[in-house]
Amino acid sequence: MKLELQKGSRSRILAGFIFAIVGIFIIRLFYLQIIQHNYYVGLADNEQIKSLTIYAKRGLIYGLEGSTPVPLVLNQTVYTVTADPYTVSDDTKVIDLIEQVAGGNAQPNLSALLGNKESRYAVLAKGLTTVQAQKLKDANFPGIELQQTTQRVYPEGTLAAQALGFVDYDGNGQYGVEGELNSQLAGTNGLLKTVTDVSDVPLTIGDKNINKPAVDGKNVVLSIDRAVQSHVEQALVDGLKRNGGDHASAVVMDPATGKVLAMANVPTFDPANYSKVQDAADFNNPVVSAPYEPGSDMKTLTMAVGIDKGVVTPTTTYSNLGYIDIDGIRVLNGVGLGHLGNITLQTAMNNSLNSGFITVAEKLGDGTNITLQARDTMYDYFYNKFKLGQVTGIEVSGELPGTIIPPTDPQGNAVRYSNMAFGQGLDVTMIQVASAFSSIVDGGLYHKPTVIAGSMDANGNYIPNQTSTPTRSVSQSTADQVREMTHVARDSLFANVDRPGYEVGGKTGTSQTLINGNYDNNQTVGTYLGYGGDSSPKYVIMIQVSGKNKTLEGGRDAEPIFADISNWLINYLQLQPKG
Amino acid sequence: MSYYQRTAEFTSRRQQNWSRNQNTVAFVSSIKLGPVAHTVLVALMITVLGLIYLTQATRATSYDYQSQKIDSQIADLSNQKTDLEIENARLTSLETVKNSSVAANLTTPSSTQYVSQ
Repeated sequence: MKLELQKGSRSRILAGFIFAIVGIFIIRLFYLQIIQHNYYVGLADNEQIKSLTIYAKRGLIYGLEGSTPVPLVLNQTVYTVTADPYTVSDDTKVIDLIEQVAGGNAQPNLSALLGNKESRYAVLAKGLTTVQAQKLKDANFPGIELQQTTQRVYPEGTLAAQALGFVDYDGNGQYGVEGELNSQLAGTNGLLKTVTDVSDVPLTIGDKNINKPAVDGKNVVLSIDRAVQSHVEQALVDGLKRNGGDHASAVVMDPATGKVLAMANVPTFDPANYSKVQDAADFNNPVVSAPYEPGSDMKTLTMAVGIDKGVVTPTTTYSNLGYIDIDGIRVLNGVGLGHLGNITLQTAMNNSLNSGFITVAEKLGDGTNITLQARDTMYDYFYNKFKLGQVTGIEVSGELPGTIIPPTDPQGNAVRYSNMAFGQGLDVTMIQVASAFSSIVDGGLYHKPTVIAGSMDANGNYIPNQTSTPTRSVSQSTADQVREMTHVARDSLFANVDRPGYEVGGKTGTSQTLINGNYDNNQTVGTYLGYGGDSSPKYVIMIQVSGKNKTLEGGRDAEPIFADISNWLINYLQLQPKG
Repeated sequence: MSYYQRTAEFTSRRQQNWSRNQNTVAFVSSIKLGPVAHTVLVALMITVLGLIYLTQATRATSYDYQSQKIDSQIADLSNQKTDLEIENARLTSLETVKNSSVAANLTTPSSTQYVSQ
């Protein structure tokens, strides 16, 4: 009995002990699984769930050749080969294969890089294609890694570099279209949040997975015509060789749509090697970002204002003294001397006589003074109708507005407006002037300039944009008269330059440059602004040449470049001669 | 209100069969399962269910690896396609065309004739 009691007592003790242990386990498990549930779930999620960025593909950029899109900027997946020299066992085999596969992309000192066994990181080759990288992957050398990146590729080299811009190391578009349309081109990255294994392979287990696909960037088609752009760039290079200038710019537009067919500058840069550019100014696109005093090109617009307001016609005469006094200040005829006496405004246009266009400004007032009414009228036309002194909204980064001083400004006096009548005292960009002139050429309809022709869908189909709705700058009659005046002006100076049977017109411009607040006659900018076509105008070309301490003239230095491009365009566009 | 009225009573076949099978005998099994056997059976059932779960989970994961492999192949092929497009663009670029042997043999026409379209 006593023994049974003892046995029963031990059993109870053992049972109690076991219950106690189990109780402790239960309490501990309760604490861990219930009370600390969220904490441990968080730890597990941090360990198991990875957030992976699904990178959007940057949109491609196409140009045109005629009406067919051609690639200007593409994306390429490239690989960088890195090594842990400490881990690499057979240097010779690795070097042989990399030199064989990577060729010129391999670093020149592979032996030294791999020989430094104290280093744990060395770049052996850059810019390998997928096929090249696959050969290295297949070799499966220990200590060799491949890092994948995407880079922009430019099949046409430096073509239209300043219009295109480039993409920096952070993937952001800089300058040109890349900069201006960065948000559209970049797209939106996606997100993959999921349980992964140790190799970061996403697994479908778990109930917190998120798969938000990336939205790729938009593929844009530029209105820039590859062939026209190439010829224009070559024409600028040839022109600078002839005249000894440092800089040249050109823009070619379709006056009926405002689409830019070419936008070129010299010097330029290689967007694939933008980091090697010595002078950051080379990234700029002076066609849109360098306001300047346009000089005599403005005379076409001043004439248009006068005709449109009904105060002058091309045959209106005035007494040319070789100068005009405005508020006690004598304004001389700069380039065109002679032709004194009673002459027509057409003669003034032909010979680029400042006095003729100051006369137009005076006739907009009381006939002998550039009154406030005259200045208001000129400002209204220049700023509101020809859109000078304001950004045009062209899709190229870095566009600057320039300046047109209004009559309400104390500086907007008669002397300034007399200067503005022949292209001084205002700052405008080439794209503004070319667009305004295009409106004259296109019957008085102003089209907003654009470099975008359309887009490319995911299947590679070209979807052209609708042509923008134009605004009226001057009447059809005014536009036709001014266009004819530029045609006559060109015939009077460059009669044998153009191909016979085509209508080509234009106006020279030679502007002094402002240096330290004073006009410098020893450094001038030469421009030529003109159009051409068959039964109707098909293109507008504006050329600008300049150089440090160079006296460059519109007629002598810019016009030959215009003629080169114009005659080439007649062939390229397959224009048929009249008659 | 119904358009049809039942015209005769009927007896279901089930009721007829019930009376036919009223001599059916249910035998009680002589095998009795004790608590150990029950425990073992429950453990076995849990093991089987666990194995089924593991099999399904592993199968799902194996699909993930297959999917990953296919995605990788698609990416590689896409990269190769892009490389070919770039090569094509380079071979048809203006600079390449200008420097081609075909272009070198081209001559400038002495005159151009136009026809009405």
